[in-house]
Amino acid sequence: MASSSSTARVRRQLPTSPWLFAAPGFLVVGVFILYPFVSTVVNSFTDRRTLIPGEFVGLANFRELLHDEMFWIGLRNSTLYVLGVVPALVLLPLLLALLVQKNIPGITFFRSAFYTPVVASIVVVGLIWVWLLDERGLVNAVLEAIGVGRVGFLSDQWLLLLSAMAVTVWRGLGYYMIIYLAALANVPRELHEAASVDGAGPVRRFFTVTVPAVRSTMVLVGALSSVSAFKVFSEVYLMAGPDGGPAGEDTTLVMLVQRTGTGLTGRVGYASAISVVVFVVTVVLMLLVLRADRKEET
Amino acid sequence: MRISRRTLAAAAAVAVVLPLSSCGSGDDGAGSTDASGKVEGDITFQTWNLRANFKPYFEGLIDGFEKKYPGTHVKWVDQPAEGYADKISADAAGGTLPDVVNVSPDLVAPLAKAGLALDLDKSAAKYRKEYLDGAWASHQIPGMTGTYAFPWYLNTGPLFYNKSLFEKAGFDAAKPPTTYDELFADALQLAKKSDGKVATLANVPTIEDFGRYGVELMSKEGTGFAFNDAKGVELLTRYKELYDAKALDPQALTATPESSGKKFLTEAVAMNPGSALDLGNFKKQAPNLYKNIGITDQITSTGKVNMYVMGVMVNSRTKHTPASVAFAHYVTDAQNQMSFAKKVAIFPSTAGSLDDPYFTKEDGTDETRVRIAAAKSLKNAVNYTPVLFSEQMKTALRNEVAKALQGKESPKSALDNAVKACDTLLKQQG
Repeated sequence: MASSSSTARVRRQLPTSPWLFAAPGFLVVGVFILYPFVSTVVNSFTDRRTLIPGEFVGLANFRELLHDEMFWIGLRNSTLYVLGVVPALVLLPLLLALLVQKNIPGITFFRSAFYTPVVASIVVVGLIWVWLLDERGLVNAVLEAIGVGRVGFLSDQWLLLLSAMAVTVWRGLGYYMIIYLAALANVPRELHEAASVDGAGPVRRFFTVTVPAVRSTMVLVGALSSVSAFKVFSEVYLMAGPDGGPAGEDTTLVMLVQRTGTGLTGRVGYASAISVVVFVVTVVLMLLVLRADRKEET
Repeated sequence: MRISRRTLAAAAAVAVVLPLSSCGSGDDGAGSTDASGKVEGDITFQTWNLRANFKPYFEGLIDGFEKKYPGTHVKWVDQPAEGYADKISADAAGGTLPDVVNVSPDLVAPLAKAGLALDLDKSAAKYRKEYLDGAWASHQIPGMTGTYAFPWYLNTGPLFYNKSLFEKAGFDAAKPPTTYDELFADALQLAKKSDGKVATLANVPTIEDFGRYGVELMSKEGTGFAFNDAKGVELLTRYKELYDAKALDPQALTATPESSGKKFLTEAVAMNPGSALDLGNFKKQAPNLYKNIGITDQITSTGKVNMYVMGVMVNSRTKHTPASVAFAHYVTDAQNQMSFAKKVAIFPSTAGSLDDPYFTKEDGTDETRVRIAAAKSLKNAVNYTPVLFSEQMKTALRNEVAKALQGKESPKSALDNAVKACDTLLKQQG
């Protein structure tokens, strides 16, 4: 049994110890997350360039954004990306998870196969899709053979964006499928059995049992995929090229940040202002998804 | 020890204020510009994607320097080609720029403006006469006095064409186009004959193409761009004709030099610019193409072909100015440039080197023929890309050119927009 003086010593030490234990965490968060974030916000109010510190310019960067054609193109494309990709990434992985949910012989192979695009390097994935969709690629060869003729997947502004969306969905299917598999494992079997006894077929059971049971997971998938869709970079960059497609018409906001803020003549202040807009829109997007979820719950 | 709220608040305030401190002018930290002292000390030398193919050459070069100047030690670092400018900008911004850096003129310009490149007219003027006049001038920045890098190797190259594709279109493959008029006429014919399946060119016109076509790129004073003149509009109008007829590859609007090179390799495109270095690639990667390869001179309206210049810059903040200047000169002197040129298809920028039999005497091979022709053309070649033409400006031009080719803008208004955007970026660069 500890003496009263040692108890007092422990009490005195307690407030410090947690901080010491947490210090490495705080340090990492401070240096690698908070500092760059605060730095970006501060830079967005300056005319800082890569090699020139710049000066405080107030809201000038944000005012310039309003008149920057490329910014509006980027905002349009990032928004379209969310609208095009998120519904597919909420629904398709759920259907895929239902398919591979059953424990039948050989199903592990299919689960792994569907997950493969997730672990494949995005650069390799991008290159493969570029080869497939090239004017002289496999897809066009097939289309030509069946009499459709060549399609400019990589030269038409809208087809390029759609192709990039298809790649994003293709890559995301396996990842979200795993999340849904975990959620489906927690759906009580008795509910399905009860619904079957009541005469519900597979489609009805899907809508009355499965969907309500995984609704919170669908919201999570919706929130995660909408944030990553709004911040899309790699797929569009690899398929549309560094300029963002013909005349830059496929540029997304993050591509614009990269293009504007990097290199020896990069406009770091202006690129930071675009980053701040991306951050604000992303937060708003998350809040909207979560709010919609709460409304449905009540 | 208890951590008070005040301590936490102070730490938070420091975290917030710390980034603001980086907005200040910062410590100048400039090194000496005097290169006349004793050559000694440890310096770092950075090259641009050269280790993979030329490791023994550079190790020998460094050994030679260290033997010549005991007391020196050169640490060699090599950076990949991809993102090289970003790597330099990160180093420059972080104060970790190597002492001696392999650069191109467009990289030197912002570094010189930021005071990070040593003015060689002040620190190394005695070496000036060793180099070709044009090469020495290539690292001078409009609006600034001085020269900010030793010229290193030069490169230029012919236009390759696919004889087989030309023959299929009914042309005499021994008579490739030599003027812009012939080029455009042949390209339209080739597209027509192949029903739009074979394009002649795979890249949209770049600033170099405008220069080669005879367009005035910048105002005489160097304070603004001028490629929206009648000649520039004419070039873009002719490219639009090619694009509409599929004589310019439909994917040209998103092409990079690498992707258009691949198109030529796969015989989807009939012509492509290149260098003597490419012949080896054709032989190895596309033997069928190599059998049909035709080589002709760059097409130009000015009579002067385009050349690319590489330089070696000395960091003005180096702590060992004499050693850094001596090493940069050593790398680029006539003897070492000549020995490098014999290992790879590049050309020395030192005076008189191009008269060496290696660049003048035929031996019957294609490689030698290309090398001799290129060396000859280099004597009055021009680096058409203005040194102040940044990556952002290149993007602005490409985007406007794409709009004109797609018919979304007229060539005139597209070029007006591009000039306006580039002028704005030029002003922002300061």
